[in-house]
Amino acid sequence: MTDGIKRRDFLKVLGVTGAGAGLSGCSTEGAERLLPYVVPPEDITPGVATWYTTVCKGCSAGCGMWVRTREGRAVKIEGNPNHPVSQGGLCSRGHATLQHLYNPDRYTGPMVREGGNLRAVTWEDAETLLATRIQAAGGRVHLIHGQMGPALTSLVDEVMAAVGGSRTEYEALSDAPLREAARIAFGTDALPRYDIESARMLVSFGNDFLETGVNPVGYARAFARMSGSDDHGDKGRFVYAGPRLSLTGLNADEWLPIRPGSEAALALGMASALGGDAGPYGSVLSAFDVRSAAQATGISEDAIQELAERFADGPSLAMGPGVGAHHRNATAANVAVMILNSVAGNVGTTVTMGAGPSSSTRPYADMESAIGAMASGQVGVVMVRGTNPAYSLPSSPSGSGFQDALASVDFKVSFASAPDETSALADLILPDRHFLEAWGDSAPMPGVRTIQQPVMQPVPHFDSKEMGDVLLSLATRMGATMEAATFRDYVRTEYNGVLGNEEAWRTALKTGVVDVPASIPGTGALQSPDSALSFDAPVMDGGDDLTLVVHPSPRFGAGEFANSPWMLELPDPVAKIMWHSWLEMNPVTAEARGIREGDFVEVTSPHGSLEVPVWLYPGIREDTVALAMGNGHTDFGRWASDNGVNAMALLPAVAEQPSGSFVTVATTVSVTPTGDRRRLATNEGSSDQHDRPIAPAIALADLGHAEEEADDGHGALMELQGVGGFVPVDAHDGAATAFPLEGAQHGNYTNAHEGPRWGMAIDLDKCTGCSACITACQAENNIPWVGEDQVQMGRDLHWIRLERYYEHIDATQASHVDVRFLPMMCQHCGNAPCEPVCPVFATYHTPEGVNAQIYNRCVGTRYCANNCPYKVRVYNWYRYTDENVPEPMTWQWNPDVTVRTNGIMEKCSLCMQRIRDAENRAAVEGRQDRVPRDGEIVTACQQSCPAEAIVFGDLRNPETRVAQMVESERTYRVLDELINTQPGVHYLKKVTFHEVSGGAH
Amino acid sequence: MRKHWLIGGAAGVVTLAAGLALVGAQDAQRVANADSPESYASGQPIAFPHNQHAGNEPGQNNMNCMFCHFSAERSVDAGIPPVSTCVGCHQVIPGANNPEEVQKVLGYAERGEPIPWVRIYKISDHAHFPHMRHIAAGFECQQCHGEVQQMEVLTERDPAWGGDNMGWCIDCHRENGASDDCAVCHY
Repeated sequence: MTDGIKRRDFLKVLGVTGAGAGLSGCSTEGAERLLPYVVPPEDITPGVATWYTTVCKGCSAGCGMWVRTREGRAVKIEGNPNHPVSQGGLCSRGHATLQHLYNPDRYTGPMVREGGNLRAVTWEDAETLLATRIQAAGGRVHLIHGQMGPALTSLVDEVMAAVGGSRTEYEALSDAPLREAARIAFGTDALPRYDIESARMLVSFGNDFLETGVNPVGYARAFARMSGSDDHGDKGRFVYAGPRLSLTGLNADEWLPIRPGSEAALALGMASALGGDAGPYGSVLSAFDVRSAAQATGISEDAIQELAERFADGPSLAMGPGVGAHHRNATAANVAVMILNSVAGNVGTTVTMGAGPSSSTRPYADMESAIGAMASGQVGVVMVRGTNPAYSLPSSPSGSGFQDALASVDFKVSFASAPDETSALADLILPDRHFLEAWGDSAPMPGVRTIQQPVMQPVPHFDSKEMGDVLLSLATRMGATMEAATFRDYVRTEYNGVLGNEEAWRTALKTGVVDVPASIPGTGALQSPDSALSFDAPVMDGGDDLTLVVHPSPRFGAGEFANSPWMLELPDPVAKIMWHSWLEMNPVTAEARGIREGDFVEVTSPHGSLEVPVWLYPGIREDTVALAMGNGHTDFGRWASDNGVNAMALLPAVAEQPSGSFVTVATTVSVTPTGDRRRLATNEGSSDQHDRPIAPAIALADLGHAEEEADDGHGALMELQGVGGFVPVDAHDGAATAFPLEGAQHGNYTNAHEGPRWGMAIDLDKCTGCSACITACQAENNIPWVGEDQVQMGRDLHWIRLERYYEHIDATQASHVDVRFLPMMCQHCGNAPCEPVCPVFATYHTPEGVNAQIYNRCVGTRYCANNCPYKVRVYNWYRYTDENVPEPMTWQWNPDVTVRTNGIMEKCSLCMQRIRDAENRAAVEGRQDRVPRDGEIVTACQQSCPAEAIVFGDLRNPETRVAQMVESERTYRVLDELINTQPGVHYLKKVTFHEVSGGAH
Repeated sequence: MRKHWLIGGAAGVVTLAAGLALVGAQDAQRVANADSPESYASGQPIAFPHNQHAGNEPGQNNMNCMFCHFSAERSVDAGIPPVSTCVGCHQVIPGANNPEEVQKVLGYAERGEPIPWVRIYKISDHAHFPHMRHIAAGFECQQCHGEVQQMEVLTERDPAWGGDNMGWCIDCHRENGASDDCAVCHY
């Protein structure tokens, strides 16, 4: 700066105009009150987090949780590293269970429906009414429930026996075909446990194990260890066979785009090519060969033959169809995959028995009988808990008839804690507690139990009561003698055997794991099938040429998370679309029908029709379209209702035989444009890298001699060198010396060459793109949601953006898949373009190398965001934190992080509050250098990452894990050599099995 | 300019009238006073004399600050004593000077109500002040809060403090060789 306006003068001018911009909490009106405890709770120190272990009830996986509470409020959830199921990671939905706890739409108390309206009653009145009605029903009581822990199940059975009732378990998402296949093939009632980590050749037959199923978090961890390459170039290969690339499929090295429903033919064709001993299935196998597999799947014989050969090389593992591929022969397909595993000698090595909660339900078939009983007047009182069949079962004429059957029951009781489509039909609402407020337990796999303990007092806005306590009270009212006074006592008593003394009980609560004896039947040898199985491709309803795949959403599950703004605004890991629904369609199919992206189409099946915008996806077969479950609620709270479409409207209500599971791939559809268009709510800039080395890869064969690569990877952009002051500099210095840059002015930080330089390394060979980091970051850093309209204007506030670039996807034949995921957040540049353009020094470099954003200095010029080459700075256009976040969701705010208001720029801070917390601890403990130990600071994204892809630490200390990772030959920094930004965030290139050509490839 | 005087005068009359209307109702008075920063002293629900508790003059009790502000050395928050802490002593100490104030304390405890203290010291939400860090560095509470042990009525140490006067923090940080990096407190 020479003449003209100086930066400081400019600041003064801006100071006047910017005076209105402030942070919430600046108010000086009135006196603030300090309310002390009357009697202090034992385990709460103001300002210090208290952690509790419990178990996640967000899905049936049963991951261990650590819940951070501050001053008695749950503010953040993390994975419990001691837990054998999840091993420390946590998925997005796990984080979002916090939003169910503070959901403002929860029922405020027990209610009775009178003349269509709900009237609040006392718990006393409500329970008396329930007891009276049950008495009057004389044993014709039926409970329909979702997943329950063993303690609650045993209490329910006890109470139901006392009142003469019965129960049905129904979950929209189930593993019934897999469970039934394990029973048929191996005679076990446990699910197969897959040792993914040991496999070197993994084939998934439509099993989306990274997103749904038995254990998404634990399997993601194992998968990342298997497929992430180590320094010796050891890397497992993953092949996905299915009509559509799910998030799991996008992580594959190869894709066999087989016809919907042809998994069994492929598995048996491979098994027959292997020619091993299939025991009692020898005759089945003789009917299949590579040729028949090729005919059924649409894949070439050569490809199948070659895959079979590589599979035989082992150690290999095949996984059978999951929920996204539950067609009419799904059990047979799972049996076929078990035959393949058996023939390849995997049973007993990579496949053992003993995962998942034990269960003997036949989900939809049982539900059909319950519906029949209700419709024929055999049920006087029906109670529903933890499941929402009125939403998740088709209501079409060919549907389940659940709604009508339920309506015909005299007295309907719902234990829903928040409104849902089923509770909207209930006569009595007895709001259950959220699992973070309640006692319970979980049996996620044989031999493992976890106690579910309340982590806080019930949220006082809602007068809720645990279902266990209601049942105990009900039994007492009806004259039964119950030993336990509360459900807590009941749970405690259940564990008298394994946790005899008080100390063992407390230890179990602290560690979050209880070991219980388990015996798993089944020999591992194939058994003769005891039911008829058809290994042929299933018949689809209707005669149209497009098959509809209805799959669970990685964000909403089957719809349980549709009222969580975090999940609604989380870009779908595959489509990158937020809030609304979309139909996935291959671009070739769309072009043939004159459909463009964003066009509304009418999707019609023999069972129903709905209108939905199209998203073009090269990762789906040309004869297939796909819809995610979860949206299209009618009565599920303020955010979910009337948002998107419910895919179930297109499905028939069919129970798969013999497992009794609900069939999700059942019908063909016709697709006609309606003429309407919309802009998709997406944060995706481009699915193509446009020849820029943003997420480069390296071929496995090139590992070890990367320096021989001639192309430095900048392609055409390098030609711009020297034009318009655009001069790339030599940036081959190590990360430690790159900050501060030679000759750079960094204020009065004379000591910036000492002490730590905080930085990060992200292994893209491990990252699965699951987006758990985004939600973890959102929960930790008080990031609000902005809503669908704002998202369409590109105003979403996430600090992490999960880039997804297609390099190679071919939906017409078996070939390699190359999709690059890259979590993009502030790169903490050592030479940051955002800093010199800030007129008020609101963004600058800390002596520790963090690019900091000082909210109270920011006046909102947005110059920094415009000058950021990574586009990671986000701006508060409105008072999102005030206007979008209602009570009591504000209770979730992290008190260690400033809540921002409008006019403020924000971005990744490398979890500055966690750095400070560790530094404070180091200082208080009187450690000599006051520097936190390596691994002591764990950022929110790193903690949550199921794949262990993210590592944070001091780049300047060569002993740290992050410094060692940065030394890898795979390490690069995004656009660094081009624009000399010297980022503190390092990426390790994805490793591919195929040749990569050019830098971006 | 004349117009401004008029507006100011009108506002003054309204304020005065509102103030007069409240005279007589003691509780209402307290609330009204509490909401005006000038009258924190009378705005406290209980006339709590810090000097009687923490002072070292004859007849005063010379208590350590952290007896009541219990988490100052291990938390970012110094901690406001729970009512039960007050009662711990005052169930046997009737309070020779102001027994009626002690009775109020016991009343709160009996009713199970928190005492609604008026906050005197407050740092803006966009700044973080970890108490334990400063205690660990060997600072006395008085260096920021003033000679509280001599105050019958707690007031802010220095109008310059003001809760938002960053220069006051920075001066001390510089004098003591602590970091003057923005992100040490602002994040």
